Amino acid sequence: MIRIPLLLALLAAAPAHAAIGSDPDWPCIQRKQPHLSLGQLWTGPVPDEQVMELAETPPIAQLAARLEQRRLPLDQAATLIGDFAQGADDRQLTALMQAIFTRIERDRSALIAGISRYGRAQVALADRIKDRRTRFEEMQAAPSPDFDAIDVEEEALDWDMRIFQDRQKSLTYVCETPVILEQRAFALGREIAGHLD
Amino acid sequence: MKHLLATAALICAAQPALANRVFITNERSNDITVLDGESFEVIGTYPAGNRPRGIAISPDGTELYVCVSDDDLVRVFDPQTMEEMHTLPSGPDPELFVLHPSGNPLFIANEDDNIVTVVDTKTHQMLAEIPVGVEPEGMGVSPDGRVVINTSETTNMAHFIDTETYEITANVLVDSRPRFAQYTADGSKLYVTSEIGGTVSVIDPVTQQITKKISFDIPGVLPEAIQPVGARVTSDGSKLFVALGPANRVAVIDAATDEVIDYLLVGQRVWQLAFSPDEKYLYTTNGNSNDVSIIDVAANEVVRSVPVGQQPWGVVVAPD
Repeated sequence: MIRIPLLLALLAAAPAHAAIGSDPDWPCIQRKQPHLSLGQLWTGPVPDEQVMELAETPPIAQLAARLEQRRLPLDQAATLIGDFAQGADDRQLTALMQAIFTRIERDRSALIAGISRYGRAQVALADRIKDRRTRFEEMQAAPSPDFDAIDVEEEALDWDMRIFQDRQKSLTYVCETPVILEQRAFALGREIAGHLD
Repeated sequence: MKHLLATAALICAAQPALANRVFITNERSNDITVLDGESFEVIGTYPAGNRPRGIAISPDGTELYVCVSDDDLVRVFDPQTMEEMHTLPSGPDPELFVLHPSGNPLFIANEDDNIVTVVDTKTHQMLAEIPVGVEPEGMGVSPDGRVVINTSETTNMAHFIDTETYEITANVLVDSRPRFAQYTADGSKLYVTSEIGGTVSVIDPVTQQITKKISFDIPGVLPEAIQPVGARVTSDGSKLFVALGPANRVAVIDAATDEVIDYLLVGQRVWQLAFSPDEKYLYTTNGNSNDVSIIDVAANEVVRSVPVGQQPWGVVVAPD
């Protein structure tokens, strides 16, 4: 019977998270910020059309793709940026920042969409658990209970609850990932800006 | 004589003074970072309890007050040793508070209970619980100490509270999710920031009317990222600084005209602000980049960023 209060607490916790933001599909305690903008990370020149094109030329695009990778430690990223900056003017540095921004924003948007799907799946699962719980209680209260059917229902309920709880535990990490991407974009922006004339 | 004075000044400066120490609450690492306001070096990091947020210091610099949100109390530290001296009752989930200019009492916003708790800092007793709007958050106090302002996030109001009777004397409707209230030093203006509304309301404290709304437009930044939170105005009333949250900028505003002069890129999710005692520098807490930015107030320029603990939230500087 310990399970029931725990479940109720978990079910109560799910909408509480959602209530913090205005989007009911958003399960994170952090405010949903669907998109980043370059100005949040960068006070250097605003990229014009030519710089946007430059950003997708192979040397810059390849460097941006490498810098974006989270497995590349920031001190090594700083060295790579420093090497690039030696032969680069402000337009090329701005293009590198734009190329990084494009990639990180693309990944982050996909991630935000994924978290929303995750949130919707949790809400749906919570509803299903409630339905199963109601059915389970009705079956137990029946004048002549079908104990085999009750066992099957209980097992299904157990599984749903386990999945729900595991997903809730993962939520903290999942919700922090967009912030981790923002931190990287900001740190790279700061590093590149340090080389502007 | 000049030489003597210079020597005296040097001796005074050499004292291991508390003055100009900067205290930062780190909401996630549950500690307080102390910075030297001269060298900007980290002096130390000290445990603070669970989820420290609002922070204030007594006018004489002898008591450091910290809202420890998840412990449901205010912890009081000796700013010199960072030893905990005692705790104060705060009501549940204290986030932000304001100290009366005399140093007593402390007015604490309790978000979950829709009240402002008043606590005597000398006797450590709760003096009153004042019912306010839904989700009280920002707290400000008039320079003469007669009025405390509380902003309620959901009711979207700035409540004017009489500090003698603890009665609400006026309510001003502002834009969505008001977060912070800041008077000018001469008490002639009150600024209230609205996080979701994206504006700062300029209120005449006498008539309790909004005289102007400051809005923000940063090239290359999506409007929804502009979320005004902390605000500070120089004591001569010339400059207002507003932290713009995830826009990662601090707006510099001419406080005579209330027009924006500049936007300074600081760190990520810039939250609260505090001046050095001489107002030469402004410190900003940057919750997502885990650092503090230091702004040269005269030059409108970010001169330094200093890594601190995890999710820095509040900041206060010891008085001279």
